[in-house]
Amino acid sequence: MKNEAKIGVFLCECGGKISNRISLPRVNELLNYEPWAHLGIYPYPCLSPGLEAMKAKIRDKGLNRVLIGGCSPRAMKKKFTDALAPLGIEPYQVEMINLKDHVAAVHEGTPQDLAHKAAALLAGGIAGLELMEPYEPVSVPFQGPVLISGGGISGFAAARELARKGMESMLFTSAQTPDQVLAELPRTFPGSRIFSGELTELLREVFTSPLVKVLPDRPVEYVVGNVGDYRLGLRQPDGEVTEVTGSAVILALDREFVPGDYDYIGGGEKVCDLLELEERLAQGDIEAGKVVFWVNSPEHGKAAQEFATMAAWRNSLMLAQNYPEAKPTVLYPSNIPLPLTGGDLVEARGAGIAFQSYAPEVHPVVQSGYMTYFSPRDHLEHELQWDNLVVSMVPGEPVPKTQELLRWLPVYRESGGQLRKTQLKLKPEQLADETIFLTGSASEFQDLNEVLQQGKKAARGALHLREKAQKGALVSPVVVTIDQELCEGCGLCSEICPCGGVQHHKPGSGAAPHQADSHLCSGGGTCAATCPYEAVKMLNNTAQQLEARIKTVLSRMKENETLGFICNWGGMGAADLAGVKGLSYSRGVYLIPVNCLGSIDPTIFSMAFVNGANRILLAGCTPTASCHYVYGVDHSWYRVNVMKKLLSLAGLERRRITMGYVDVNQPEAFVSMVESHVDGMAQLPPINRDESTKTKLWAIHATLHRPRVRWVLGTSLRRPTEKEFSGGQVNAVDADETMLDVLREEYLASRILRSIHDRPLNPPQIARDMNEAVKKITPMLTDMAKEGRITIRGWEGGYPVYATGKA
Amino acid sequence: MIEFSIDGKEVSGQEGWTILEVAKSHGIDIPTLCYHPAVEPYGGCRLCVVEVDDGCRSRVVVSCIYPIRQGIKVLTSSDRVDNVRRWIVQLLLDEGPGSVQLQQLAKTYGVKPSRFKAAGKGQLCLLCGLCVRVCDEVVGVQGLSFGNRGLRREITSPFHAASKDCVSCGTCLYVCPTGAMEQLFDQVRG
Repeated sequence: MKNEAKIGVFLCECGGKISNRISLPRVNELLNYEPWAHLGIYPYPCLSPGLEAMKAKIRDKGLNRVLIGGCSPRAMKKKFTDALAPLGIEPYQVEMINLKDHVAAVHEGTPQDLAHKAAALLAGGIAGLELMEPYEPVSVPFQGPVLISGGGISGFAAARELARKGMESMLFTSAQTPDQVLAELPRTFPGSRIFSGELTELLREVFTSPLVKVLPDRPVEYVVGNVGDYRLGLRQPDGEVTEVTGSAVILALDREFVPGDYDYIGGGEKVCDLLELEERLAQGDIEAGKVVFWVNSPEHGKAAQEFATMAAWRNSLMLAQNYPEAKPTVLYPSNIPLPLTGGDLVEARGAGIAFQSYAPEVHPVVQSGYMTYFSPRDHLEHELQWDNLVVSMVPGEPVPKTQELLRWLPVYRESGGQLRKTQLKLKPEQLADETIFLTGSASEFQDLNEVLQQGKKAARGALHLREKAQKGALVSPVVVTIDQELCEGCGLCSEICPCGGVQHHKPGSGAAPHQADSHLCSGGGTCAATCPYEAVKMLNNTAQQLEARIKTVLSRMKENETLGFICNWGGMGAADLAGVKGLSYSRGVYLIPVNCLGSIDPTIFSMAFVNGANRILLAGCTPTASCHYVYGVDHSWYRVNVMKKLLSLAGLERRRITMGYVDVNQPEAFVSMVESHVDGMAQLPPINRDESTKTKLWAIHATLHRPRVRWVLGTSLRRPTEKEFSGGQVNAVDADETMLDVLREEYLASRILRSIHDRPLNPPQIARDMNEAVKKITPMLTDMAKEGRITIRGWEGGYPVYATGKA
Repeated sequence: MIEFSIDGKEVSGQEGWTILEVAKSHGIDIPTLCYHPAVEPYGGCRLCVVEVDDGCRSRVVVSCIYPIRQGIKVLTSSDRVDNVRRWIVQLLLDEGPGSVQLQQLAKTYGVKPSRFKAAGKGQLCLLCGLCVRVCDEVVGVQGLSFGNRGLRREITSPFHAASKDCVSCGTCLYVCPTGAMEQLFDQVRG
């Protein structure tokens, strides 16, 4: 669906806040030759009278793109998009330029001068909107069973909830009968045997339901597909891979526990851990005497200790019921809250179970028959008599099978071993519905009850999706598209995607084109900026749109001014706030907002230099701590770094492109960053754009389009703090030098191509043209001729004559 | 079309518009603090009071939430309005004596330090709730809210801890009329 752009430009006076500082009639004049269909100045477009006037204009003139020159889109865009939605204007068709906080409030200068800057930014917005392609969101069907993988107990709760609501599910679990499930449960939830009565009911319902297919747990070979059509490849024992299809995926993963390390205590049979005690309890093999449960192992964290205290409480209850002489005591560290309810405590008192806290600063000491602990209450050391000592179990590592599963999904392991779904800090409207659910104690130490609730909640999420789909409202928000013609299936995009939005393809299927799962995609755009073949496109945020925007802005900028990129979060937030706080800074920096600095293709930088930029400043969030797209700003650093290398290869100053980091709450830092940049650049003359420099800039641009360069750049995108490098590199300097070698070669190749672009030349002529030694370029020429990038057109005075194109 | 007058100027509008919106669109300035076009009007600070004469009697109303009516006469700065506004500025100034905007308003309306007990010297927050409303209505999450009641009412994150919902977008910082949010922001986002 393509239609002609009819752009309406609405300029806001903001009660004088803008119109007193910027001469809006002058802006109107300056924008005379831009392709807009309507341009008007309004006192307050955001208030009801203004909105009505806007709507009337849109209806009258049939406008289909709206550009508002006013204040921050972060606060105001929603009001405009909501108001214009009844007219068929989609949110992506509305663009806002923050004239108030980026121009009017922060710069000194006459209204005429500021009008020039405002017009430049607005013209850029118009150019970007012009290239926008409208799209229709696709309605997604939601059929087939929900796939419940991982084997955690929450999966059963999910399956029951789904079955009760008439939805099919496939449950993959190693236990094939209710008894097996109960027998395996203590490994993940020690002490849960006390609930076996209630659980039996749940399990019976699941195993007998015709809607639940309980299948043996198999290693997951791959996960591909989109919401409504996820495909899991399961490796069967005979090596075959079978595929199951489902509409959503619920990952029920529980943390398994392993025996604690209590060898150092000794004591033989009398000392055991909770897992072993439970085993003995089940077999009725408990020696008479007083039992002390000691919650130790502080190295696994307080949450694990809380979990162990809970398990100790449940086991002590079972113990007290069966062995009255056991008189259990639970000794728990005082720095964790006792995870018991008031009712539990009453029950404990009735059963004769004592709870005693110890100060963790003084490690309790075990002796034969006694142990001493330091009480935080009275600062005295006390002794506790024991006949059987029970210590905590410790959380184990995820089993390899689970780890395999995680490779395919947007779930990662934290340093403590807990699993986390990648959670990007974005506004809800920017995130689509959840389609992959993570439940179970693997993400957090939780009680059995809570885990079952989680399973139920995940099932409700899936049911909600079904409900939406039945109404036809489950739409796939197209964010990223991958050109299937251009994609070579290298997989770089899915490697670096922080949200799991670019799906992996099946292993062994070769160079299959990738696809994006729009329900996982967050629109960070680093995949598009990385793709070596430039096959990935961010819809309505394409590199082409940004290019057009920048070209227009650059054409209106002076030589000593800076092109600034700000990310929608940290950079823009701080810049907006500078306006709110009435700070003021040099007006020589033109701010172009992008969603994330990581979404800027490296060719954008080179294109800017080719088109007249003399200096570029990028302001994004502080890396790792506050980047909303996890590594976006880190990725941008590498692209800037490559640009710097290329600039220095061309004999230009590396500092012509600079990165800055600023937090959303630091407008002062933003101002000092801009000022420092402007001061530092004051001595830097504009690029002398003679023929030779122009050629070099062109060559830089061509170099950054080369798949080889983009590939090497893509593989080197890692966080600067990481200590592992791709390929054979062993350290940072090595990796950097490899990058530099590649750049040097490709830059030379690009220059050669440029040199023979218009006419065939022989090596000495090319060398003269490039102002290089002949021997420096001949190996490259030979290589390029071999690769078929250039051809030999004939011979002249003993030299081959090279030309571009195929023979 | 509803026709009426503001400060003697004949204006018109549609049903559902408020006095404040029409006044602003005609370049008539009414001071506001808790009003922001991004969110629904709230009528919290009462600074935008105007006098409305509907022919029978005249009343002082809050213009940001008062819908326009046929034939009313609105006065944005009569003696009566100025008197009410002065009192409001007085009380707000005691609530947030550190705020630059309020100090300016106090100057405009000739408000002197009052006989009421003022809040702490650096106190900025006026409890206008713009941050809470913008978070809910514009961003779409509930990262922060009002806590406590009465005199101890305050803006805070749930349980005074880092909010799970907060996406640290900083929209609350942008709309805060006094800059009070800057101090609270790190607590909310964690």
